[in-house]
Amino acid sequence: MFEMFEYDFMQRAFIAGIIIAILASISGTFIVLKRYSLIGETLAHSALLGVAIGLVAEYNPLWMAVIFALFSAWLIEYLRSAFSIYSDAILAILLSGSLALAIIIVSLGGAFNNSLFSYLFGSILSVSSEDIIVISIFGVISLVTLLLFSKEFYFIAYDEEVAKTSGIKVNLLNFLLVSVVAVIIALSIRVVGSLLISALMIIPTISALQFRVGFLKTVIFSLIIALFSVMAGMTISFYFSLPSGATIVMCVLFIFIISLITNRR
Amino acid sequence: MKFSVPIFDVKNLSFIVKEQTILSNISFEIFSAEYIAIIGPNGGGKTTLIRMLLGLEKPTSGEIRIYGKKLSDFKEWHKIGYVSQRASHVDNSFPATVLDIVSMGRTSQRKLFSPLSQDDKELVRDAMQKMDIEDLAHKMIGTLSGGQRQRVMIARALASKPEILILDEPNTGVDIASQKKFYTLLSKLNKEDGITIVFITHDIGVIVDDIARLFTINQKAIICNNPKQTLSCEEMSSLYGIDAHLLHNHKHEH
Repeated sequence: MFEMFEYDFMQRAFIAGIIIAILASISGTFIVLKRYSLIGETLAHSALLGVAIGLVAEYNPLWMAVIFALFSAWLIEYLRSAFSIYSDAILAILLSGSLALAIIIVSLGGAFNNSLFSYLFGSILSVSSEDIIVISIFGVISLVTLLLFSKEFYFIAYDEEVAKTSGIKVNLLNFLLVSVVAVIIALSIRVVGSLLISALMIIPTISALQFRVGFLKTVIFSLIIALFSVMAGMTISFYFSLPSGATIVMCVLFIFIISLITNRR
Repeated sequence: MKFSVPIFDVKNLSFIVKEQTILSNISFEIFSAEYIAIIGPNGGGKTTLIRMLLGLEKPTSGEIRIYGKKLSDFKEWHKIGYVSQRASHVDNSFPATVLDIVSMGRTSQRKLFSPLSQDDKELVRDAMQKMDIEDLAHKMIGTLSGGQRQRVMIARALASKPEILILDEPNTGVDIASQKKFYTLLSKLNKEDGITIVFITHDIGVIVDDIARLFTINQKAIICNNPKQTLSCEEMSSLYGIDAHLLHNHKHEH
């Protein structure tokens, strides 16, 4: 089984995958509890727009993905707080807008090739050493931010107004959380793909919630489910020559179904 | 006992939305250790008033001072405990034990980079003890009854060591026996711990013996300084716009 680690690209994919599983599951817990699950999908499409511009203009696509996902996250929070538009409508508008713009840019630039395809669906072959460095640096910053403010994020997810009246800077922390989520999504699309990363953020938490345990245990269960899914998905993907992102998502879906059945009431 | 600086000093407060007046020219002061009940018809502006006191809504005109400071300059929000209308309607699937929820009361005061201190944990324990929910500490919030959830929400507010507790009809959906226990607890917090209480309620007859003043809000405010004497059927009728019959609590003399 361990022969796959004889390949450098598999070592890199596993390192990236483990970092992404940790980040996606922890940040996903807050997003799900805030009833903000769709934000992952929208930011992933904004990240894809960044990738498209990066590919056409020959900038580093990963950096461009981070910048565009961040910009989109801030725009969502601004529109949510400044205008009386439903949150889910804002997410839907930005999702389709980003995707449409990405398609136009790549078709104009003639860059609709395998490279973009790998960002759409994820590819373990495409993770470079430079990617690992970028994912590690931003990953550590994101993780530290999530852990530092975990109690505040949890309180806000529980009741935003009560958190505000107790002196917590809710607006600032909401901006911070969506920024961290944007960075995590941008980093993840290499391995899982922009169409599938949202699943890795949301499904482990939804599965963990079926066990009806306290907050800390929910985060730990979600983390274990995400780590297992990523490792199992990449292993299966290697041995059966399947796309990594889709295989990871099928693994996490399988665990979700098991958690539903075992916790049926 | 009234301190020279009131906790809340509200002057000429008005709130108008889309040319509809919700509150008009309201002024009052709330002093330390007072127990104030707020009554009024639905849509009369009670919740809006509370939300403005908490900085959740901006008044159209007028001024609110908290501990002598302008609301925008006030930073010590931990001194104010708030239990909202929907407090006991927690999402059943929210992953929180009673301990998780009550510990939230310490979140805004913890130092960055540090978990809850021993003192914080002590305050959380004290708050749970006061509300008689220690044995529920590790129960999931979604499995509790309405009355138990209500006490958890008060414990969360108490964990921040508030000097004032603001409650917006937290009794919705709670059975009568739990409500009685709840009123006794509030009275105890006011009398024994000196916590100022501002309480929006419809059950004025039950708590009339405990309260110091009664605010009746229906766009305008009528302040009753002696609720037992001044609360008449005529006033209630004019406030609610219907025939009202005041039922006296059997505890107090007629």
